Amino acid sequence: MERKNLKFNGSFLNNNRAYLFLIIVLFAGIFRNNFFTAFNINSVTGNGSLVMWLGLGFTICLIAGHMDLTVQYVSTLAALMCLGLHSRQGLPWLVCILIATCMGVLVGLINGFLVTKLKIHSFIATLGMQFVLRGVMYMYSPEEQSIGRDYSANEALNGSLIPGLPFSLYFLITTLVIVIVMVFMRNTRTGRNIYMVGGNLETAWLAGVKSNQVTTIAFVLSSASCALGGALNGIYSGAANISMGEKGIAPLMIALTATIIGGTDIAGGHGSVLNTYISLVAVAFLRALFKKTEMQVLVIAIILIACICYETIAQYRKSKVLGTRPNLHLEYLKEIGRG
Amino acid sequence: MSEQINNNPNPAKVDSRKTEINRGIILFNKLGIWVIVVALVILGVIIAMANGSSFFGASNVQSILEAVALQGMVCSGLIYVVYAGNMNDMSIPLTMAMAGMMTVQSINLGFPIALAIGVLSGVCIGLINGFMIGKLKANPIIWTWGFNLLLSGIIRVVWGGKQLYADSVAADTEYAQNAANSFYAISRTYIGGVISLMAIVMLVMFVISWFIHSKTSFGQKLKLVGTSYEAARFSGINCTRVVTMSYVLCSTAAAVGGIFYAALRKTASYENGTGYDFACLTCVLLGGTLLGGGQGSVVGTLGGVLAYGILNNILSWVGLGTYTKYAVQGVVFLAIVWINTYSERKLGKG
Repeated sequence: MERKNLKFNGSFLNNNRAYLFLIIVLFAGIFRNNFFTAFNINSVTGNGSLVMWLGLGFTICLIAGHMDLTVQYVSTLAALMCLGLHSRQGLPWLVCILIATCMGVLVGLINGFLVTKLKIHSFIATLGMQFVLRGVMYMYSPEEQSIGRDYSANEALNGSLIPGLPFSLYFLITTLVIVIVMVFMRNTRTGRNIYMVGGNLETAWLAGVKSNQVTTIAFVLSSASCALGGALNGIYSGAANISMGEKGIAPLMIALTATIIGGTDIAGGHGSVLNTYISLVAVAFLRALFKKTEMQVLVIAIILIACICYETIAQYRKSKVLGTRPNLHLEYLKEIGRG
Repeated sequence: MSEQINNNPNPAKVDSRKTEINRGIILFNKLGIWVIVVALVILGVIIAMANGSSFFGASNVQSILEAVALQGMVCSGLIYVVYAGNMNDMSIPLTMAMAGMMTVQSINLGFPIALAIGVLSGVCIGLINGFMIGKLKANPIIWTWGFNLLLSGIIRVVWGGKQLYADSVAADTEYAQNAANSFYAISRTYIGGVISLMAIVMLVMFVISWFIHSKTSFGQKLKLVGTSYEAARFSGINCTRVVTMSYVLCSTAAAVGGIFYAALRKTASYENGTGYDFACLTCVLLGGTLLGGGQGSVVGTLGGVLAYGILNNILSWVGLGTYTKYAVQGVVFLAIVWINTYSERKLGKG
């Protein structure tokens, strides 16, 4: 792989703004008491892990050029199923997690079928599925709206793998899976095809990519990872209810925010799972920085809006330049030495 | 197509694909949602008869109309955004909440002025959305969703996450208390003792919406912009203004809905209007409006709103709970959208 020589300029900062965001948040943490204690880091990363799974799923789908609105509900349903199967049917934890993940795969297949075969717009198809999943969720846990508390496997996920390392096992599993998915997206044929389909569906199809299959794989990956994350989160927190992970903002919204901050192209075909992950870690620490939920919402919203505005204005200025002389944009880039 | 077949060197290979269009699809495409409304009404009559009660009883009609009134108000504006090809205005929930908050906060100035301020806040939100999407061409979904979060943050920080009550915000003067009382009354007035004021307002808004959509030059321009943005731009239409206008209309309608919502709930908080973005999009799509823009009608949207309300009503007749309804609604929604997409594709429009 060829290495471009790094230049510390605006473009570099913009491409790595997730890391910048994390550094700023960690720097701000110095001024707070008890921020860098092992307990705080452990709980912050552990509690923020659910959204990391959602961000993973959302990013994969957005790279493939589709929106997956079901991520939040798939994870909640998986958590309910996992705990429910353990407490009602008495199955071992691994089987519970497996069944919940299979449910995620099924939802992903249905999403893929709706989008590729029935040709419903992904936004609408997943919106409908979201209603269906919500209904199934309420059917599965009627009345009490939460499945019985079960802390038997809680210790295992909460505990640290290596003594002295302030990360819970749950967070480490999350990180591991995200690294695996990142390698998959970058270095395998299917992963590259997902990028290709997201970039231009027609061209990918003409180039011989089975675009329907690849789109379905993206949906299945997204839903399966969300289901796995949800099931693990249910075990981690020992309880699951309908509004799991909802602390002031819907988890879906945070996943979207982090995906945008991580630099994933809204139109698809460009982006990185790792950047989303980094910005989700930053968001998790940001939420620990502010006591009040109101301030958290405002700060996260301002960062999101700033990112959207920056990209929109950059796109607008580029479109102003592009129409006038065909290669003026490239000429300009060559002139400043970035050709 | 026929020339290609004639020039085919191998006469055994004849294009056997059907070229004529199924008549049922054409009929469905023309009538659209009203077929489903009639079918649902018939179904409702049967189920109500089985339960030993009347579907067209005053109380049932009243409950259907009241249930859909708020959604109908929002939908009468949302259709413009969908029609212009911008998919959905995700900032509807917080536009509604913001309008409610502003109205309640300024209730001391008198009832008409408070109403005007509430609607004006909606217009401002619409202008910002329109500027970003019409002028700077931001992604409509992402921008309005992000703006929704920003508004939520602003409302929560400014009012400290509290709920506002009109009678406690109002000063102790008689004037302010009267204003608060008339604010509460707008959602509880029944004209002729049967039809609520909300339903009347919804119908009036639909009539205005229909007039703007089909009788004004803005409506005609909107049709062209929705069908093909580039073609509209090259034929000299100010697309920026049309898109901005569509967002202003949408946010204004949402603000009116939000004021009625706040009056109905007796409180104004940032949670007002949660879920209205998706519910209203459901209604608009049920009404036959294409997500890509350029097709749909206000009359169809009214049908979509009614179908949504009647479906909910029937599901409660059957005895499903509020939450179990979600699953049925989702399946029905997917099925109807699929039929819609399929018929459009067969007609070569989708």
